[in-house]
Amino acid sequence: MSAPPLETSGTGLKAWLTAPIPASPFQARMQQLSLKWWRLKANPSALFGLAVIVLIVLAALFAPLIATHDIYAQDLGKRLLRPSAAHWLGTDELGRDIFSRLVFGARITLYIALLTAIIVAPLGLIIGTTSGYLGGWVDIVLMRVVDVFLAFPSLVLALAFVAALGPGIENAIIAIALAAWPPIARLARAETLSIRKSDYIAAVRLQGASPLRIILGHVVPMCIPSVVVRLTLNMAAIILTAAGLGFLGLGAQPPSPEWGAMLASGREFILTNGWIAAIPGTAILITSLAFNLFGDGLRDILDPRHG
Amino acid sequence: MAKQDQSTETRAPRAARYLLSSVAAVAAVCAAATTAGAATPKNALVMAWNIDAISTFDPAQVGEVVTNEILQNTCDTLVDFDPADERRVVPLFAERWDVSPDRKEITFHLRKGAKFPSGNPVTAEDVLWSLRRVVKLNFGNAATLTEYGFTKDTVDERIVAPDANTVVFKLDKAYPTTLILQAIAANRVAAVMDMKTIMANEQNGDLGNKYLGTRTACVGPYKLTRWNAGESIVLEANEGYWGKAPALKRVLIRHVAEAGTQRLLLGQGDVDVARDLTPEDVKDLEASKDVSILKVLRPQLFFWNFNVADGPFSKEKVRLAMRYLIDYDGLGKTIMTYLGVPRASFAQLGAVGALDEKEGQPFKLDLEKAKQLLTEAGYPNGFEASLIFGTLPHSAPIAQSVQQNASKIGVKLSLERMANAQLFSKVRGREFQSAMLAWQTGVPDAHGNASRLVFNPDNRAEAKQTQYPSWRSSYQDLALNAKIDEALLEADTAKRDALYAEIQKDVMAKGPMAFMFQMYNIAGVRKDLKDWSWTGFKTYYARTSK
Amino acid sequence: MSEVAEVGSRRFASPGRKGLPSWVWATGRTIISVAVTLFGLAALTFFIGRLLPLDPVAAVLGDNATQEAYDAMYRQLGLDQPLWVQFARYVWGILHLDFGTALTTGKPVMEDIARVFPATIELASVAIIIGTGFGIPMGVLAAMYRDTWIDQLSRVVGLIGYSAPNFWLGLMGLVLFYATLGWVAGPGRIDFTYEFDLEPVTGFLLIDSAMAGNWEMFGNAFSHIILPASILAFGAFAYISRMTRSFMIEQLSQEYVVTARVKGLSWSRTVWGHAFRNIAVQVVTVVALSYAFLLEGAVLTETVFAWPGFGRYLTNALLAGDMNAVVGCTLLVGVIFVTLNLLCDLLYRVFDPRTR
Repeated sequence: MSAPPLETSGTGLKAWLTAPIPASPFQARMQQLSLKWWRLKANPSALFGLAVIVLIVLAALFAPLIATHDIYAQDLGKRLLRPSAAHWLGTDELGRDIFSRLVFGARITLYIALLTAIIVAPLGLIIGTTSGYLGGWVDIVLMRVVDVFLAFPSLVLALAFVAALGPGIENAIIAIALAAWPPIARLARAETLSIRKSDYIAAVRLQGASPLRIILGHVVPMCIPSVVVRLTLNMAAIILTAAGLGFLGLGAQPPSPEWGAMLASGREFILTNGWIAAIPGTAILITSLAFNLFGDGLRDILDPRHG
Repeated sequence: MAKQDQSTETRAPRAARYLLSSVAAVAAVCAAATTAGAATPKNALVMAWNIDAISTFDPAQVGEVVTNEILQNTCDTLVDFDPADERRVVPLFAERWDVSPDRKEITFHLRKGAKFPSGNPVTAEDVLWSLRRVVKLNFGNAATLTEYGFTKDTVDERIVAPDANTVVFKLDKAYPTTLILQAIAANRVAAVMDMKTIMANEQNGDLGNKYLGTRTACVGPYKLTRWNAGESIVLEANEGYWGKAPALKRVLIRHVAEAGTQRLLLGQGDVDVARDLTPEDVKDLEASKDVSILKVLRPQLFFWNFNVADGPFSKEKVRLAMRYLIDYDGLGKTIMTYLGVPRASFAQLGAVGALDEKEGQPFKLDLEKAKQLLTEAGYPNGFEASLIFGTLPHSAPIAQSVQQNASKIGVKLSLERMANAQLFSKVRGREFQSAMLAWQTGVPDAHGNASRLVFNPDNRAEAKQTQYPSWRSSYQDLALNAKIDEALLEADTAKRDALYAEIQKDVMAKGPMAFMFQMYNIAGVRKDLKDWSWTGFKTYYARTSK
Repeated sequence: MSEVAEVGSRRFASPGRKGLPSWVWATGRTIISVAVTLFGLAALTFFIGRLLPLDPVAAVLGDNATQEAYDAMYRQLGLDQPLWVQFARYVWGILHLDFGTALTTGKPVMEDIARVFPATIELASVAIIIGTGFGIPMGVLAAMYRDTWIDQLSRVVGLIGYSAPNFWLGLMGLVLFYATLGWVAGPGRIDFTYEFDLEPVTGFLLIDSAMAGNWEMFGNAFSHIILPASILAFGAFAYISRMTRSFMIEQLSQEYVVTARVKGLSWSRTVWGHAFRNIAVQVVTVVALSYAFLLEGAVLTETVFAWPGFGRYLTNALLAGDMNAVVGCTLLVGVIFVTLNLLCDLLYRVFDPRTR
């Protein structure tokens, strides 16, 4: 830690964060961040979304501690039980504990969402900024490609890709990512177009920096906030698409406790044992709602133009 | 400011009122539109069924149960399965038949005066042409005939018509007559087609295959009047039918893919019959006073198929061990109740030569036995293998159950669910380690499955005997092959049964398939529909009434 | 659904281009870019189609076919040709509106699509009417009462609309409104009793039955469509109300609003008469875009409601390995998207005062 020492007392930290003139770039950044945090705190629905996300992340991290049963252990004698003290959310068609499966299922959902984001963000950023910064033929070609991908609804595209790649969780991630990068690229391009004209980019260029350096060092960092907002909002869409794939049997393979797949297997019992489908459906709804609420709030803070 | 607040306050209800009134309007229309207690038409049979698989009505090409059932009710074959006993055959378009003393010649005497819906008279010429075109078109169904010696080169001489009302089958071997009648004369390949109409619509020498893709041209109690792919089918009573007119004038089949939806429709009285109910729904419906649950065993087996080419599954003992991982009893009482009965023999219950219920299912879940067998086979610590399966609803839970049991003795099975088309193409290409599959035979005789699931004429990869599941499993046992040939031609029934019993026991111990369940046909039927009549081989719409 | 926001905001972020030499130049550019995009669509769908690990031959021949028959069909379907030959044939076919024959139905894909599409259009149209009818007033209200409970409510309801898996809502809706309460009719487009009473004219049951004066049938069709359409409408409602809100907030901060108020114009006349008229074009484009996305939502909704439309046709084709049908459908959706986007662009250019 070579950064300035952090005061331990609350007042000292507060003073440091609210000082009218920041002493270092780090302090300036921290001040910005704390400002944003204050604004976030004023937005109850965003805060609620964040809290739910944190809760789900914690559940996923500590799933083995939270789960009450082995998620694979079957017991045909105890199938389709109603929620009770022994099985908080009942059991499924093979007598497995739904609560435990739900908790482990959070891992899969977050895994899909995160991995997709990790693939999509750099891909979209690089293509978008390159296209926007270089312009000309590169721009035309790349944007045509983006147009082609954008011309499909993401679920249809993901369906087609997953059918081509074969079912499975990794393939589902690739398929969703292939369908999700174009909007990010377009956003990054739009940002780049406005950044490109700014004086400091001209200054860097005059100093002889290469386009690669300018894009990576100066354009990309400026695009990150809006991309993060976009991604957070996209998380919900990603989760829904993943669940849709799972629902059609093209996502995670049994016995994996993926929520969409759990919902699909519960569909058979919708009239006799409705909770088996209701529970994972509610989990999907809550998770994606949390990302939407948080993303919506984040947009107000980071990206006031779209307020 | 105060003024504005006031004005907004008066405005708020206005916009809110708009919202509320639209909600109310929608609700009102909904309520008005709801038809209470919708009943089905008095003169029609209305059925909910998943009819996605239908792609053609050409009897030479049809290979799945739904279209088969439609054809059975629209296209008369030479003879019919007896609705009272599926092992017997009764006359249909052939009034009677004679058999030569050496069993090698069957002479069918056809009904006179019957007419196709087109007005053309039905003659022996049509019968000949219908049978021959199946062989010449060479779709999968051609095997039904080629298997008994009616090949492309011989069919013209072996199936002949001495006069306009007689058809003769000349057989190359002394097959059991009933078997031939069941396998060919009662099969859709013997559906009598309207040659003149079809040939008038022939395209590029396809013998009317394209024409029959969306319609039928034959004679039966019903005729197909409408088919909207993936939506519905309408059958109307055939006015000029030679036989008894059916009680119900129309049969309406609506495509409903979701089992839950079918159950809702049945419960609300929107359909008379639901064909794809889940066990849970059936259990619920059994208590209903409006609906009865009917079931009949069908000649379909659900099994775990091993590719014995290499790896652990090439060892007989490993395959035997796998059979002890199947929880026949537990699954049979839970997931498979109403869906099927445990069955470990390749010969289905009800077939000639089949082992009885007890002898045909000697296995039970026994992890220790399985472990011991694995150790003897040289896999004391288990192994890893893949298990693929399709979209049959019971495949996933059964696969998971087997996977869980296997994991307890160190066998790690990785599951992969895929579209049926993909599953079949992998299995046909021998590109699998193990798979969950179903197979249905067309005859109530042990030979039906023995000839395909066990007998393998040529196991070389380049032989491409892809229509034999035994070949797909890379399995060939020459001794069993010989025994199957012998049993087929054995004239003495007791001896024949004994031979099949031997073969079945042998296959249960070392065959490439661990048979698990024989499936039911199950239907929920509204109680105001009477005389629903079916066997494992045919459903008789014309016998149903209201 | 949040892709919608992206496409939408793109439209509004870059209203028109500056310094176009003439409208001819602009039209030419548009036509070329659309043509290139369509070609790209065709290429993408074709290669997805060839990648599908499904066996079209087995789908035609059935499980029992011999290898000899198999090889013959392989050649007949043209699968032995080099890929570029197949692609050229495919593009040639598309130019003649020929997508080949669907293996699952044995009919030309184009004919199948023409048959199933009205059902989807009808569903999506009713959905968009519901979504717009509720979405616009909700959005305007939320803008008028910004940061009050009304605004918060619309925000939460809207976000739930974005977040709920609509196949799940469909299942739950069926259980509640059909099975338990009996308020609406079940899955499918119409009761069997009526199904064969009418020869299709337009293919839209509501219109056909109304034209025939068969109001009983109209009522039945309506009670079938209302639930799936409402569920489908939820997402569109969310999007339309959110976008309307932000357009309206922008308008309400304009000077003319204050001027109008000062001149004594009533609040509602200001909002509906002036401000709303100014955002009308933006709202129309948003509605058009969400209409396109309803077609996507229809894929899963139709599966749940046994709706014999385009979405279910596509899903079935996928599961059955019907390459021609999958490719045809995917291409069609792409074309609809491109067309609607293009229309929105044109609409914007022609009507928006700021881009004139």
